[in-house]
Amino acid sequence: MGAMNDRCDRRMTDDSKRRLADRRGQETRVYQPAEDSALLADVVVNVVESGDRVLEVGTGSGWVAEQLEHETKASVYASDINPFACTAARDRGVATIRANMLDPFARRSFDVVCFNPPYLPTDPDEEWDDWMEHALSGGPDGRRLVVPFLSDLRRVLAANGRGYLLISSFTGYDEVVSIAAEAGLQTDPVREESYPFETLFVLELTPIEMSTNDDL
Amino acid sequence: MKESLMDVICCPIDKSDLELTVDERDDEEIIAGTLTCTECGETYPIEDGIPNLLPPDMRDEATA
Repeated sequence: MGAMNDRCDRRMTDDSKRRLADRRGQETRVYQPAEDSALLADVVVNVVESGDRVLEVGTGSGWVAEQLEHETKASVYASDINPFACTAARDRGVATIRANMLDPFARRSFDVVCFNPPYLPTDPDEEWDDWMEHALSGGPDGRRLVVPFLSDLRRVLAANGRGYLLISSFTGYDEVVSIAAEAGLQTDPVREESYPFETLFVLELTPIEMSTNDDL
Repeated sequence: MKESLMDVICCPIDKSDLELTVDERDDEEIIAGTLTCTECGETYPIEDGIPNLLPPDMRDEATA
């Protein structure tokens, strides 16, 4: 949990490069659990029921998935695009799949899908082309991976399935709610925690019932 | 990976079912093998117990 405290240092200024450099001092390839991970794990552990199938997208170190594995009686799966993250998660004993977002997951497979996306808005000129950048940067608007996640989530959710997405005030709360609505998802904030420079939210995403064309 | 994973995965390109070929197994754990799409025929390797279900054009690429 070494990265737990330094998240509070972040601010919306032009020092993102220095911030990322600080992170690199600790770990250069795999995002380590921080307070956002703890918040997401705490919410999801308490909603998962025995026998559920649960997927954590972008698992990073595998820590959240490991908590789910230990604290629940669900079948837990974790995915990441980063091969080093996949190895880290596998070494924690989690069933791990190397994947781009939800691409290789079959329709109606999961009761719960959770995601702590990279969400720091990052100037394209300041992007470091490496794995840690990928784990932290949310692109110019902070929503680089939030959008593809929301647009494909309904497909992989089982009946009564739900998604849990961690976002920051940096991610643009209202924008995320509106993108979710366009993807046929209702958004309910189920947890909120304030830090000196940002507020973290866990959003519960529930497919909106549609009278027709519900067979996505 | 365990064989039960087959219930939740599909071809990332066309979402069709995958067929499992096992090369190396350690009890229930499949260490090495191949997943083949029953529709488009694309193959996905299982290495060190981790299936790599990235489409071929993303497999070798670094971060994007």
